[in-house]
Amino acid sequence: MASQTIATSKVAGTWAWFFQRLSAGLLIVLLTVHIYLDHYAQVGAEITVGWVHERLGQILYIAVDYSMLAMVIFHGLNGSRTILFDFDMFVKRKKLVDIGLWVLGIAMLIWGIIVLLPFIDG
Amino acid sequence: MKISSFKWLFGKNSEFWPTNMKTGMWAWVGHRITGIILVVYVFMHLTFLSTASTSSAGFADLMKTTAQPAFVFMDFLLVCAVIYHAMNGFRVILFDMGIGIRKQKLVFWVMMAISAIIVVIAFYVLFNEGLFKGEWF
Repeated sequence: MASQTIATSKVAGTWAWFFQRLSAGLLIVLLTVHIYLDHYAQVGAEITVGWVHERLGQILYIAVDYSMLAMVIFHGLNGSRTILFDFDMFVKRKKLVDIGLWVLGIAMLIWGIIVLLPFIDG
Repeated sequence: MKISSFKWLFGKNSEFWPTNMKTGMWAWVGHRITGIILVVYVFMHLTFLSTASTSSAGFADLMKTTAQPAFVFMDFLLVCAVIYHAMNGFRVILFDMGIGIRKQKLVFWVMMAISAIIVVIAFYVLFNEGLFKGEWF
């Protein structure tokens, strides 16, 4: 039997741990709102650009969508980072991994913001 | 990662060999697998939406494609992954706060029971009310 346990990463750090929990809690709330309003309450209805545009006319919807985008990107990439370090991958290149993931995350955030703009403009 | 460490990680004597894994480890492995699936999904979601965001015809095409039964089934699998990841994540947060550690197996199965109920509701909504427009059962 392997005696060494790898299930809890000590490499990832306390802040990463804390913000992973914080984003998780926010995502549970935001995803519940998102799934209820966008998928459950409208189930079976035809989804058109007009409908999405109308919905995104409300500032609250834009806030929910963009918060969800930011939280998902952070949670997903930080989770991937934890998995890498748990399996002892790139631990010696930790700084590089961190910079790479921040660049990727910010790029994805800008990409996601741009993707939604035509729907907001109509 | 070297080949030898791969064997150390996933071989017969490793923590990840199925017969060596207990409830908590299965939960941990499941959390990682669903996590990776969801990260891949986010990339796909952004990619497909960005191709459909420039024209309303492109958006209508994407909506028509994703309304097909195979895509609704994949949607269902996505919902399952999200629910498992959320409920197991909730369990992890409870343990982080020191709640329920002594009853960790029970907490896992309670979470899975709640997940199962939500999955059944999701299945009904997605297939009966979504795909079959309320005419399936």
